Amino acid sequence: MNKGLKGLEEKVISQDLCAACGACLSLCPYLRSWKGRVVKLDNCNLEEGRCFAYCPRTEVDLDGVYRRIFGKGYEEIEMGPARKIVMARARDPQFTKKAQTGGVVSALFDFALKEGMIQSGILTPRDGELLPQGKIIKNRKKILSCAGSSYVSGPTLEALNRGPWKGRERIGIVGLPCQVLALARMKASKLDKKTPIDRVDLVIGLFCTWALEYKPFMAFLKKRVNGPPIKKLNITPPPERILEVTAGNKLVRIPVDDIRPFIRSSCRVCLDMTAELSDLSVGTVEGKEGWNTVIVRTAMGENLLRRAKKAGFIETKSLPKDNLKHLIEASLLKKRRALDALKERGGIEKGYLNLSADLVKRIVSASGEANP
Amino acid sequence: MSSIAQNAPGKTVLLMGNEAIARGALEAGVKVCAAYPGNPSSEIIGTLAKVAGEMGLHVEWSVNEKVALEVAAAASFAGLRGLCAMKQNGLNVASDFLLNLNLTGTGGGLVLVVADDPSGVSSSNEEDSRIYAKLGDLPLLEPATFQEAKEMTKTAFEISEQLGLPVLIRSVTRVSHARGNVSLDEIPKSSPRPRFENSRPRLAFPPVPNHKVLHEKLNKARQMFETSPFNLYRGPEKPELLVVTSGSGYMYSLEAVVNLGVQDNVGILKMGTTWPLPEKFLLKNLKKTDRILFIEEVDPFLENNVKETYAQNCFDLGLKAFFGKASKDVPEVGELNPEIVTQAIQKLLNVSYEPRPPDYTQRAHEAASDLVPSRTLGFCPGCPHRATYWAIKMALALDGRDGFVLGDIGCYGLGAGPSGFGQMKTLHAMGSGAGLACGFGQLDRFGLEQPVVAVCGDSTFYHAAMPALVNAYYNGSNFLLLLLDNSATAMTGFQPHPGTGSTATGEAAPVVDLKAVCEGFGARVEGVDPFDVSATVETILRLLQDEKGVKVLILKRECALVSAKKQKSLYKVEVDQERCLGEGCGCNRLCTRIFKCPGLMWDSTTEKARIDEAICTGCGVCAEICPASAIRKEVA
Repeated sequence: MNKGLKGLEEKVISQDLCAACGACLSLCPYLRSWKGRVVKLDNCNLEEGRCFAYCPRTEVDLDGVYRRIFGKGYEEIEMGPARKIVMARARDPQFTKKAQTGGVVSALFDFALKEGMIQSGILTPRDGELLPQGKIIKNRKKILSCAGSSYVSGPTLEALNRGPWKGRERIGIVGLPCQVLALARMKASKLDKKTPIDRVDLVIGLFCTWALEYKPFMAFLKKRVNGPPIKKLNITPPPERILEVTAGNKLVRIPVDDIRPFIRSSCRVCLDMTAELSDLSVGTVEGKEGWNTVIVRTAMGENLLRRAKKAGFIETKSLPKDNLKHLIEASLLKKRRALDALKERGGIEKGYLNLSADLVKRIVSASGEANP
Repeated sequence: MSSIAQNAPGKTVLLMGNEAIARGALEAGVKVCAAYPGNPSSEIIGTLAKVAGEMGLHVEWSVNEKVALEVAAAASFAGLRGLCAMKQNGLNVASDFLLNLNLTGTGGGLVLVVADDPSGVSSSNEEDSRIYAKLGDLPLLEPATFQEAKEMTKTAFEISEQLGLPVLIRSVTRVSHARGNVSLDEIPKSSPRPRFENSRPRLAFPPVPNHKVLHEKLNKARQMFETSPFNLYRGPEKPELLVVTSGSGYMYSLEAVVNLGVQDNVGILKMGTTWPLPEKFLLKNLKKTDRILFIEEVDPFLENNVKETYAQNCFDLGLKAFFGKASKDVPEVGELNPEIVTQAIQKLLNVSYEPRPPDYTQRAHEAASDLVPSRTLGFCPGCPHRATYWAIKMALALDGRDGFVLGDIGCYGLGAGPSGFGQMKTLHAMGSGAGLACGFGQLDRFGLEQPVVAVCGDSTFYHAAMPALVNAYYNGSNFLLLLLDNSATAMTGFQPHPGTGSTATGEAAPVVDLKAVCEGFGARVEGVDPFDVSATVETILRLLQDEKGVKVLILKRECALVSAKKQKSLYKVEVDQERCLGEGCGCNRLCTRIFKCPGLMWDSTTEKARIDEAICTGCGVCAEICPASAIRKEVA
């Protein structure tokens, strides 16, 4: 079995399983992304390559990857290792105003840069046409330009591979679950790296249920909006679940069910809602407007949260039990749906994950009762 | 090399077949010469262009063959002698005019030389242009030797004036491009004054009476050819086998007969006037034997016409066996050579002969392998087309809608092969890429979702793509035309054209502004330097996404060979051996495995890429594509 570009093409690109995370980009001249699609430009005949090794959709040995990051295998099946789960929000109104929810990611990132915990960060701003791209960010003003979401995944990790880097800086990255998995695989890979992955000290994960395919989604939006340029997208919380599109002075409301056809196939086989392989993951809290859920997973994550709180960058509260229960249920639901999708695609054992039958059984039978 | 213009009667000089034709025209007192370049005909007008000044000629590269023939015909109508030259495909372009010109007739001698390319070595097709002589009821001569190439050209002018018809000369590669001794005659010093006779209008209609006159002229030609010195018989009085041949087939037949030692058994009937056939002369020779073999290049033209004459007279001639392309004793396609002819005669005579071993060609290649570097057919080092196709490949892949490239003939036609990364998907006539794009560009209404891209060279644009562009605008077609402006008619030998600023004779000429022309035709026009690969990719991608309509992107960069003659290379290019990733993950020999400019070499000892300084032209494109920035360019 080829574990290079040929294998990547067979197992991922041609199967429409690419997550557009960017892990394989700017490593070599054979892969490039354009308008949210990763494109193979030429054949590469290597038996083994980083593109295949880093991809979150090729032969992922979950146990091995979790061991590399957390020192233990894939055990906490509900939503990954968690040292602490709280709700939080940024205290700086500049962040909360621009934020999709509570501005915690922006505030933590700003704090990490300011305190010198990292010297550079990789965030995902969107261009004038809402196309997300990974970008190296070094100051507060630029952080603000990355806040918000277009519900489209973009090749954030390409920025890590592309640089330019000076060679010393410690790096922080904010990524989706597929991206934090790719980062963990990069760290775990035994291939000659040639990238600064070993200087990535901080990984902030974002909760994600799915992301949309850029080109068809944009074509759909353009038709619906019909005219003015789109400024902002926001999905209202359940049970309403409406996509609010701010375009010029117009507000167009679209039921989320209308955009489901544009969900990437890759997202349908993803088991991870809470970006488990991060130092700290951030999402929204249902029913508490303006508050983020924060799952602290590593010592680095814990340290950052504590210091940022102490410095007054964020404030925290404990997460109500019901919310925790909902969170675990939602996380498990994504895992079960992904397992179903893998079954439909020819069986879990033939999918990209190395999951034991025992683990599959545990995921299927797990309940939403709080564990940590 | 001796000048073809020397007035040295009786002197023998070594001339290329095309030069001999040019010399023949000079000895006939030609005044106006026009052509569109095309191998193997290009040197005829090229040679005349060089002596135009001293000989007081008008020589021009016309934009296409039809215009070239019209230019030469105008001279004829005005009483001067005119010469027009083209390759077989060119006659297809000129044929519309030719098949009206036969009806209006000519004044001063008008000779049309068509050089056919058997096997299509430097052509898009393999075609026998002699059929046009029959189609147009026009006299046709076929030179077999270099001396004859000169003599026939001279005679053709006389025949043309005697009949009032254009005369066709059909050459082939091995006559046009080989060299031999030619004995010179006098070049006349004449200066006739041109004048168009208003009392003698040249009108093709009414067609029927004109057609009748044409047939009368053709019959007169038949009479003239009965005694032509260009038709001759060599061999025994009663041969076992009669070889009827023309053109280069004559020399092959002579050689085959000697090879087999069958001079006493085989007669060779060499026909120099192959349309109309001199019937009496032919019948007289057919009576010599009952077994007849035809040796001629490309189609069974002579074969079929001789059989036609035989059928008309078969009661007198009795039963005869014919061998040739129809009987498959001679290959139906591909160029002939002495070996093929030898084997055909050997088989019919059943004499012993040790044929060339089947692995002869392979062994010849092996023997030569140390003498010449092994290279695939492709673009020269530093050719802008390689950079262009690289950008096209990338842009179409990124666009992701399975776009395709329609092309035509020119250096860029190699874009269908490995050096163009297999991007070009259609190849027909000059300008056909743009024409096909007009059609494909209408198919979106039926659901075609693939982007349509056409490529076309600058010279081809003037030749035949301009009407397609007008058509596209008028009919609202939707495609992107990439105009590969390398400021040369490169494939045929860098002849100037309306965009180059000089004429065939080297005089300064106004430059046609491609951009203004395209804009005048209603297209949206942009320009980019193909050596700026990322800008080219970006521009193509953007134009592919653009709103409907016809868009033209002019990729301007001079032909690397033309450029090399004028100036030093742009950059000094080097491969940093430390940075080169070689076969490692991250590169895997992009430059020598995929991009494959011949200026790049893979050093299998160091497992790194190197620049072949002997042939690198310093375009610097490889420095742009190297993923490790190991290839460095410094301004030379």
